[in-house]
Amino acid sequence: MNLERLPNEEKLSLCRKYYLGGFALLPFLWLVNVVWFFKEAFVKPPFTEQTLIKTYVKRSALGLSFWVAVLTTWITIYQHYRSQWGEVGDRLSFTIPLGTP
Amino acid sequence: MDLLSHNWIVYLTICLFFTGVSCNSMENKIYINLNYTMPCVRLLNATHQIGCQSSLSGDVGVLHVLESEDNLDLVLRSGLHPPYMVILETPLFTRSIMMKLKSGSKRVAGVAVVEPSANPPQGFSPHTKCPNENTGVYSENYGPSLAHCNTTEWNPLGNGLSYEDFDFPIFSLKDDNDTQVIRQCYMDHNRALNGSDPQYPLCAMQLFSHMSAVTNTATCMRRNSISFSISPEMVCDPLSDYNIWAPVKPLNTTEKGHKAGESVVIASARLDSRSFFSDIAPGAESAASGLVTLLAAAHALRNATQEAQLNRTIFYTFFHGETFDYIGSSRMVFDMERNQFPIDLDNIHSVLEIGQVGLLSNSKLWLHTDPVSRRNSSIEEEVKNLITNLQAAANGLNVSVEEPAATQPLPPASFHRFLLARPFPGVVIEDHSSSFTNKYYQSMYDNPEYLNLLFPPDLTPEEQLNHISDTAKSLTEVATLVARALFVQAGGEKSQISTIKADELTVSRMLYSFLISSNNSWIQEIISPEHVGHLNNKTTNFYISVLDQTSLPALLVKQMLANLTGITVNVTEEDCRNQRENKDDTESQHLYKYLWVQGAAAPNGTQREGFCIRSTVSWSKALSPAFELEDYTSSIYSTWTESRWKKIKGRIFLVASHDLEMLTLGVGIGVLLTSLLLTYIISSKVDILFSSGREPTSATY
Repeated sequence: MNLERLPNEEKLSLCRKYYLGGFALLPFLWLVNVVWFFKEAFVKPPFTEQTLIKTYVKRSALGLSFWVAVLTTWITIYQHYRSQWGEVGDRLSFTIPLGTP
Repeated sequence: MDLLSHNWIVYLTICLFFTGVSCNSMENKIYINLNYTMPCVRLLNATHQIGCQSSLSGDVGVLHVLESEDNLDLVLRSGLHPPYMVILETPLFTRSIMMKLKSGSKRVAGVAVVEPSANPPQGFSPHTKCPNENTGVYSENYGPSLAHCNTTEWNPLGNGLSYEDFDFPIFSLKDDNDTQVIRQCYMDHNRALNGSDPQYPLCAMQLFSHMSAVTNTATCMRRNSISFSISPEMVCDPLSDYNIWAPVKPLNTTEKGHKAGESVVIASARLDSRSFFSDIAPGAESAASGLVTLLAAAHALRNATQEAQLNRTIFYTFFHGETFDYIGSSRMVFDMERNQFPIDLDNIHSVLEIGQVGLLSNSKLWLHTDPVSRRNSSIEEEVKNLITNLQAAANGLNVSVEEPAATQPLPPASFHRFLLARPFPGVVIEDHSSSFTNKYYQSMYDNPEYLNLLFPPDLTPEEQLNHISDTAKSLTEVATLVARALFVQAGGEKSQISTIKADELTVSRMLYSFLISSNNSWIQEIISPEHVGHLNNKTTNFYISVLDQTSLPALLVKQMLANLTGITVNVTEEDCRNQRENKDDTESQHLYKYLWVQGAAAPNGTQREGFCIRSTVSWSKALSPAFELEDYTSSIYSTWTESRWKKIKGRIFLVASHDLEMLTLGVGIGVLLTSLLLTYIISSKVDILFSSGREPTSATY
């Protein structure tokens, strides 16, 4: 889909859908939202729906950075301590690399 | 059209064929694969991992043939081309060198040990000084002063290498063409000439032995059982095999637990050995000498025990996995305690164990007993009785028996596991009074040469099979002694024992089968047709196998014991395989086992006349109780597991210098980037470059 060819109201509704969808533990929707609507929100000359799009994109970015922070912390901790956790570590793992503690 | 497509397929196939071939030949041009590669593999127990492993993609190092210990400096410090793949001549395969390599393992890619043609005269044992230190009977609660080999170090030459963990691969190479190629490659490319450093390309070797399991048994068993992953994969298997046993009198084996009125004398030997390398476990002295003796004794007793009505039952037992913390014996005792075995501990009268008996000095055998249980007067009386019987049995034989110092503990033996359950009277027969006579305990040098199993030159394999060597003669004497002692111990008349004699020819054939080649005419006669494929022309590997597999020694002992103690019955093959004498017979299977064997080949043809053997020989699982109880951190039972692996391989090739490799890579990346840039420029200027006057097609979405 090309955003250029979409009327502004539909852009807003699309951006809103992505923003709300992100709350269903889908941070990737927020990522898409931020990347996709960044130009519309901050670069394009102003239009009526732009303020709302701006808000959604900002909030999506905020939510996204929260997720990134949480996931990075967790992955670091998990990779670092998995072998020390022993059984818990193994149960938490989907695939266990062969021949490594 | 049809023909055309047909042609196409043919062309395509030919093309693919040639591509395949040329790929192969390309690989062959680069690599020389090693034919004979025996790795050291990873084993795990409750607390540790031992053995060796490579990385997943194999470890590569520049070859360095170590000439002396001083030469190590090049590998560990001064050499300019680390990591090194060290080729060790066997005299240098010592603990001190191996530990230095282990500590400098960043500069060591791996080690290859060249098997020698002669055994090192100073002795070599990669086992510990105190075998099965923690699973024997002596502990803080039982004879604390004797625990941990405090009074007698059984294996003083033991350097413990087998129980170290190396993070690089270690392979054993036969001294043959492969090693010649390696040496030549080293001489041509890697040798420093006139003090200057060798120039690239250098000869390198790559070893693959990546192990799946890690840390300890609890971890690997847990990972075996996790089925959450997409592709659940087993990472390790418990060491396991079969104990082979046979009572001289048929016992109902279907009914488990206590047998009223039954008193048995256990005559046991161990069935396994090991060495530093997996699948090289000749165990000539440490396993074969004892089990051949017991088999010969069982054979000698066949007629005597059938004629005389003995009031006790002799129970021949061959325990598997004793090297690894008494797997077989601990399992049998465990089964007896839980009424899962045809007899229980109350049925046991006494135990006579045959240990290492192949290297007699002055024809003396030593009767080892447990000083702690002998403090009990009733046990002491029975032990004395057994010793008297053994001494009486030695009368008129070329061997004599003696007792070592009264305070000396029991050497490592299966009997420990019986004593752990309760005090039993028992004797362990060995050829050493204190420390082992065996200089090569649990090593690859514990081979037929060490047992002095020599044949005059120019003998055909058939003649070798039937040749009676001095070793066979000496073991026959020991077997006669054991048979006579067992006969008296079981309640036989002392006056009859002179008629009991072990057969030299049978002993010779057994030694040949275990130590030279199991694929011989005698074994062919007495083996079941379905097992023929297991026979080979090599020294039997006494290393225990893993769960749901049977090792060759257990199979051979089963077949030999059945033939040496059983009788031939006139039963059809079908009935024989269904464990019955005839169609209506449902009782015999509880008392006997029926084995269909190939029989001798007719002299004029290959047709064999099979027959059925009825014997009391039976087998039970030798899997450590720890795996039955799922207690993988057990300190009383063996917890040994063997890691799984995917690829065991070794190859040599020439490597270019690091700079040249980087240059090649750089040029490659450069070419890629240039071509990308060119493509971009061309596609952006496509209108100018390829202006054909066509209307550009409008983009549609």
